[in-house]
This record gives sequence, C-alpha cells and structure tokens, in this order.
Amino acid sequence: MKTYLGVDVGSVTTKLVLINENYDLVASIYSRTQGNPVDMIKKGLQEIRNQMPQEAQIAGVATTGSGRQLAGVMLRADLVKNEITAHAVAAMHYVPDVQTIFEIGGQDSKIIIVRDGIVVDFGMNSVCAAGTGSFLDHQAERLNIRIEDFGSHAMRSQNPARIAGRCTVFAESDMIHKQQMGYPTDDIVYGLSQSLVRNYLNNVALGKAILPKMVFQGGVAFNQGIIKAFNETFHTEVFVPPHNELMGAIGAAMLVHEEMRDDHRKSSFAGFGISNTEYKISSFICKACPNLCEISQIAMDGKVLARWGARCDMWDRIDKK
Amino acid sequence: MKLGIPHFGNVSVSIKAIAQQLGATDSLIIPPPMTQKTLNLGVKYSPYEACLPYKLTLGSLIETCELGANTLAQARGSGICRLGYYAKNQEQILRDLGYSAKFLTIDISHNKLISVLRLIKNLANDASWYEISSAFFFGISKLFALDKIEKVVQEIRAVELEKGTANKIYHEAIRNIDEATKRKEVKDITKEYIERLNHVEKNNKAHPLKVGIVGEIYVVIEPFANMDIEEELGKLGVEVERTMTLSRWVKYSLFLNYLGADEWRKVHHLAKPYIDHDVGGDGWESVGEKILFAHKGFDGIVHLAPFTCMPEIVAQNVMPSTREDIPVLAVICDEQQGKQGLLTRLEAFVDLLEFRRRKNGRRIYNTR
Repeated sequence: MKTYLGVDVGSVTTKLVLINENYDLVASIYSRTQGNPVDMIKKGLQEIRNQMPQEAQIAGVATTGSGRQLAGVMLRADLVKNEITAHAVAAMHYVPDVQTIFEIGGQDSKIIIVRDGIVVDFGMNSVCAAGTGSFLDHQAERLNIRIEDFGSHAMRSQNPARIAGRCTVFAESDMIHKQQMGYPTDDIVYGLSQSLVRNYLNNVALGKAILPKMVFQGGVAFNQGIIKAFNETFHTEVFVPPHNELMGAIGAAMLVHEEMRDDHRKSSFAGFGISNTEYKISSFICKACPNLCEISQIAMDGKVLARWGARCDMWDRIDKK
Repeated sequence: MKLGIPHFGNVSVSIKAIAQQLGATDSLIIPPPMTQKTLNLGVKYSPYEACLPYKLTLGSLIETCELGANTLAQARGSGICRLGYYAKNQEQILRDLGYSAKFLTIDISHNKLISVLRLIKNLANDASWYEISSAFFFGISKLFALDKIEKVVQEIRAVELEKGTANKIYHEAIRNIDEATKRKEVKDITKEYIERLNHVEKNNKAHPLKVGIVGEIYVVIEPFANMDIEEELGKLGVEVERTMTLSRWVKYSLFLNYLGADEWRKVHHLAKPYIDHDVGGDGWESVGEKILFAHKGFDGIVHLAPFTCMPEIVAQNVMPSTREDIPVLAVICDEQQGKQGLLTRLEAFVDLLEFRRRKNGRRIYNTR
C-alpha cells in the first residue's frame, strides 16, 4: 500500500499524518513542538512507524508550517509547501463547497478566500499575535484554568464580559479589571473568545469578502467558545472539519501525492532511520558586511546539510562530500 | 565641497559617472551599499511614524556624513507626498546629531531639469554648461543601460535552470558599467551582458507566470527596501515587469514632459472610473497600472507600499473595486516586516496564480 507522509511543523505544535491513495488518514501524531522541532520530528516519525500498517510504504513526503525548511532537509522531503496552500487544499477536500477558510494556529492566523474551488485571496497576520492560540494559552494560565477546559467554561457563560480586543496587552488589563470587579470566570472566558474573534476579523480578515460556507480549522478550532463566537458573529454555522488540527499536514500529504503521481517520481525520503541520527543545529552571526546576518545551520555527523538566514548567497554553497 | 547622496536604485552609478567626467570625483561621497546598519541608523533617528523611504535615505545620508560629506542631495517638492518635506526635516535631524551639512535639493515637482543641472554645477563650479551637459548625458546613459539589462534579468530569472545565475551576471554588469569611462564602453558592456544573459541555460518548456510590480516609487525601485522581492519571485519561477524605472523617470520628467508628453496619460485614463485625481505619491498610478497589467494579460500584481504611506493606502482600498479581476498581493514595506513571513505569502500567492491559470485556461483577463 502506498502512503504519503505530511509533516506540519508549527510554532507551537508539530503534526505528522500518513494518508493512503484515497486521501484517507492512516496514522497521525499531534504534539507540542516545545521549541525543539528536531526532536519532535524524530519522535513523531517513530510513532508514525508504530501506527503504520505492515504493508504500507512511504511513496512521498511533504513538509509545511514555519519549520518546513528544516523538516524538509531532515526528511529529504519531496515537496516543501507553504502552509496557506496546504490548508486550502485540505479544506477544499473535506468541504468541497467552502468559500471562506478561517485558520487559527499557535502563533499565526490566516483567512483564505475560495471561489469555485480555487484560492482567490488570502490574508495572514504579520506583526501581531493578538488573535491566536498563544494568546488564549496565556490568558487561560492567568485565569488558572486548563486550556482544554476553556471551551466548556465559555459555553456556560450567560452574560459575556466585554473585553477590548485590539491588543493582547490591553485585553489582558481589561480582563484583570473584570476579574477584580468579580465577574464569573465563565463570562470572562467567553468575553475573551469574542474579543479574539473580533480581533481576528478586524486584522486578518479586514476587507475580505467572507461568504458561507465557512470552515474553521487549526488548533484553536478545538475551542467551543471560539466556534460559538464565530457562529454568533455570522449568524450561521461555521463548519469545523474532522481533524481540524491536522489540516496543514493533510494538505501537504495530498499535494505530494498528486505531484508524485503526475511526475512519476520516486520519493527521496530519508527513511525512518533518522529517528536515531544526531542532528546539530547551530547559529552564528556573519561579520562579512554590516548586515550582520544571523545564519543558522543544520548538520548531520559534522556535515552541514543546509543554512538559512543570509541576505546574500555567500553561505549557500554547501560542501557536498 | 563634499556632496553626499542617498542610495536609490542605481542612482549612485550615474552620479559617480557625472562627477568623474567633470573631474570632481573627490567632491562626491557615495555611501556604502545599504545594509542593516543603514536601516538601524535611519530607524534610530527618524520619527517612528515616518515611512521606510524616509528612514533609509536618512540612514544613507548619515553614512555619507560619517565619511565627511558637508553637502547633501535630497528631493523636495510640493503636492507629491510627505517626501516634499523630507529634506527640511532630515536637515534638522542631522543638525541635532551634530552634522552641519547643507542640503542641496532637487525640486521634483517643478523645474526638475534645472534643479538637477544646478546640483551638477555645484559639483564642479568651473565647468562650462557644455561640459556639464555632456557629463550629464554620459551619467544618464548608464541608467538607461542598467535598466535595459535589468529588464532581461527579470525575464531570465524566471526560467534559468540554476537559480541565481542571472542575478550574478547582473551584479557583475553593474560593477563593469560603474567602471566604464566612455559611452562606447557602456554600449559594448550592455551588449555583452545582454548576450551573456540570453545564453544562460534555461528551461525552454517553462511558460512562466507574469506579475506586474506597482506601488510607491522608492520601495518599487530599491531592492533593499522591498527585500529583493523581484529576485525572490524569480526564484519561484515568476517573471516580473515594472513600469517604474529610473531611466523612465529621467526620460519623461527631465525631458519629454517639457515637450508636452505625459507618460501616465493612459494609466490615469484607465484609473478614472475609480480615482479621477492625484491622491499624492504614486497612488493614482498604482490603480491605473493594475488595470493596464490586467489588460496585458498578466497573472497577478504585487502592490508595494511603505508602512504609513497614505497615497498607497488609498490605492490599496480602491483596487478591489476595479472591473478587472486580477489577484493583487499587497506588501507593506517596513523595518518590522520579517522576510520569512514575506516569503510564505509570496509562495502562497504564486500557488494561487498557478491554480487560477490552470483553471482559467488561457483567458486574457476576467471581467466580473
């Protein structure tokens, strides 16, 4: 059985999925990146191997997410794809008549506008993380509730507190103020959910033509409170696809499946053995000119595999011994 | 006199040539190529809400002052945008920093040619007007040569097999043209390099996506300001075209406009249903150019605007209402903009254009 591996290395979580030729999910891993993508990829790969059916073999590997380049080098991926396209492809597969995709992840949020099965516009947060999962994580900690319980608290709210949504810092001080005034936690939690949705729509989605059917995916789509806030804003049901948290990885796997089939290529996958390989990631500042670029590199057995971060091509040449 | 100029595309190449022809090389100070240091200097001493062109030119001017410049060239004018006041403002900032440099400004709203010639006259006081004009023509011939080569580079980047080859040749060409001392040499070098570019190994089957670059002139022309966006699009297999070049500015603003020619007539006409008057900067032109590129059958538009640039924000908000349905990626150029985020968006934009092309077949453009 031919299977395709999709790896989505995000800022907060790392996702690995295996799909078969009919795009069905065969295996999947969802874990926190914990600032250590290399180990997470290695561990995730090990687990995928454990979940994998006996007769399955890997016929293509694709990486996506903010760590896509690193993961691409480690796995010797056949395809390295940006997360916007990957998310769109997966959403269109699960919900063919989708017109708007909301994707809220750990540190970024996107909106993708689809018409007649093609992406026609998109937006992505660039300088502010106010409307993302990290914000909720942080506030949950402050309210002393687990992020997993965030949604059920929000659902119990009767009179949501109004919380400023433009900036995380102001939202936080507003929230503390409401706490001091004695608002119930449930109302504060739902108020926060509403403010996140407001912030998202005012920043990322500003000026975009939002039409149903709307799909909401990414890790934050687990949160019932946010779903409720979206539903109330648009007076319509926002659809959360199955495996909402894995959509980026699934999209990447679908894309590599298509590419391998069309190009009749053989996968360059590095193999499951890399789980036992030592990778060394290091960084240094290049002092060749006043740009002072921060170069990071990944090495295996003392051999540099790739470098990133240079403005010029000085560090592009890698000794291929 | 020690004249310092800020970097702006290949402007320094042509001014250096003019100074050389007039035997005034010692009176000209060209700052080091723009780097992170230039940007840091500019950001540190500029008002926070000033735009990137302001910050970069200030940084560049500070670098010339560090090398001993006592007279600085900068643009000024009325009715353009905040740029009209930059010289006055930057002069004050430099004085506060302890540099007592005098500003020689080029009026870019009226009397453009006269103020350019006056600037050159200041470089070499004893030179006759004949010498000045011949030096001037030599200087601008280098701009025309470089823009001609760059146009080929923009095409080759999209289809070359080994990414980066055309760019290397282009940078070599800039160095050689910079060193040339005769018009004949400039001509020969141009020919030689265009030849070399055409011989770069190409993917002959490629039918590259075509993207038009529109927006504010400084960030459109200066690669440092737009994070080498043309090169990055080239790496993704996209051919770019932009109307705004320095040689075109020279050709029209310094000559043909005086004879009644209006290079933007068509563009303004196309933009008329949506904006019917100048909104400052290049906002009106951006809207018209979007439509023009759509009519020419381009696949998409990249709209470059400095952060806090009012004219381009007007343009950005008008663009979605045009009848011509062509995807536009708005890129805000700012010191806070990260390159990784830009690359992710460029990649997604290119995917979008490719899917669209596959779906549309070969239609010229869609009318909603």
